[in-house]
Amino acid sequence: MISVKKVNNKPLNLLERIYLREIARGIAVTTRHFFTNLLNPKGMPTIRYPEQTRPLPGNANLRTRHRLKMRSDGSPKCVACFMCQTACPAYCIHIEAAEYTENTVEKYPAVFDIDLSRCVMCGMCVEACPEDAIAMDTREIPGGALTREEMIMTKESLLRNLPDGSAHAQSGNARSGYDLTTPSEEEPSRKGAANRLANEYLKSRGEE
Amino acid sequence: MEFFEANKDILLFTGIAGAKILAFLGAVMGFTALMTLAERKVSSLMQDRIGPNRASVFGFSFNGLFHPIADAIKMIMKEDFVPGRAQKLLFTLAPFFALVPVLALFAVIPFGDYVMIYGYQVELQIADLPLGLFFILALSGLAIYGVFLGGWASKSNFALLGAMRGAAQMVSYEVVLGLTLVGLMMIYGTASLQDMVRAQGSLLLGFIPAWGIIYQPFAFILFMTAAIAENKRTPFDLVEGESEIIGYFMEYSSMRFAAFMFAEFIEIVLISMLAATLFFGGWQVPYLYDTGFLFPGGPALPMNHYLVAALQAGAFTAKTVFFCWFLLIVRWTLPRFRFDQLMGLCWKALLPLALLNILITGAVLTILAR
Repeated sequence: MISVKKVNNKPLNLLERIYLREIARGIAVTTRHFFTNLLNPKGMPTIRYPEQTRPLPGNANLRTRHRLKMRSDGSPKCVACFMCQTACPAYCIHIEAAEYTENTVEKYPAVFDIDLSRCVMCGMCVEACPEDAIAMDTREIPGGALTREEMIMTKESLLRNLPDGSAHAQSGNARSGYDLTTPSEEEPSRKGAANRLANEYLKSRGEE
Repeated sequence: MEFFEANKDILLFTGIAGAKILAFLGAVMGFTALMTLAERKVSSLMQDRIGPNRASVFGFSFNGLFHPIADAIKMIMKEDFVPGRAQKLLFTLAPFFALVPVLALFAVIPFGDYVMIYGYQVELQIADLPLGLFFILALSGLAIYGVFLGGWASKSNFALLGAMRGAAQMVSYEVVLGLTLVGLMMIYGTASLQDMVRAQGSLLLGFIPAWGIIYQPFAFILFMTAAIAENKRTPFDLVEGESEIIGYFMEYSSMRFAAFMFAEFIEIVLISMLAATLFFGGWQVPYLYDTGFLFPGGPALPMNHYLVAALQAGAFTAKTVFFCWFLLIVRWTLPRFRFDQLMGLCWKALLPLALLNILITGAVLTILAR
């Protein structure tokens, strides 16, 4: 059964068919907008985007710029397992793994680059991460850049903890920035089983 | 020295004409370059946007003032592409056919009355042709060649279709454009634009300026409609249809394409100047005469000759700018006509109305002459 919607378009009356009055009304609307915006440019809803930003709406679950979570000692939670790089549909993650000298249990990323010019902000890396080490909750929207090199985020720019677990919900200005030098309390991790196991393993070995 | 003495008149005439051409065309071209920016800025303001503001010199962007320069540099740097099967000669000539007639038309536009310089009376018009109006109609008819040669010489079916639409549209509206101006010629009894403007300096009933719009308000609406259609801009932009339809300059790139685009923008300025000249008194300021203001009822304000000339040129500029703005507003307000509506509007509505306008004007003039 095809549903049919009957549209009752009124036939145009003579005044409307002459079209001139309608043109005048249309021009009145656009002219009003023109002069309103000319005299009060601040009132326009449009902003000069990369320089100006505006608070993201409410507590919306947005996939924003990535970050790598840190442990309380400032080392990355990431264990360089390459899961995110494998999951990435845009091939924008580049990881080079290295080993801790004092710790033979786990690896760490010597290089962790995300090419924002390729990233499609799909969040697959966050889904794939077994350590809950990568997140897209900074509430910063990646802006444009003039060169390709500027679009690549390195490990240093990715490593950051949010000021505290809930602060990001209120952080209005996306460019307010986070304190990168002093890592805050380690964030509670939903997953991080390997981290916990690694810590327990190291602890048990130290006791022997 | 003897040579200069013997040919003084010719040299003087050449010098003055050259100076006028340089000054007027320079002003027009500069203004047109700004029009390309104004088009984007006006449309953006109408739509609550900011518009182009990125092009900057040493970090100063002046809200986008450098965009015409950036556009020009971009156009020049692009590859000058000629399709392999195109007719090279016609393909090269077409942009000139689009640009040159439009530029030549400015010769007959009076941008002021006259100035006395060292005792010489310099008319503020490049060429005061007795048949200026016919000159305008003839040359604007020539602009069709630019469209059609461009489409034909590209040897592209889409471009040819666009050119055919363009030719049909421009030929049709050319007729209306000519007929709307007949009424003015009948009233002012001249086809010279300078004489028409001078005639518009008189007063009706002692206080209404005798501008063309007072005599022929109906012809003004017809003229603007036909002129926008001649100009191939929305709501009559079926020739190019920059958003969907493919136009006659489809195969053009680089500065050749820019020539077509620039011709269109110069035409906006030209139409604005024509509308101001024919219907809104050209350089006339109401109640301003050679010696200064003379208001109806007695009060007078005597003024310097140069001040008067500057005021008049300024009035012409202001009227032109207003109509340019108006044309931009119209272009960004109205949706596009369908092609059958376009042709129907021309042949079934505008043409009979233009003829009716001539008939009524003639009848009224005959009755008044009795």
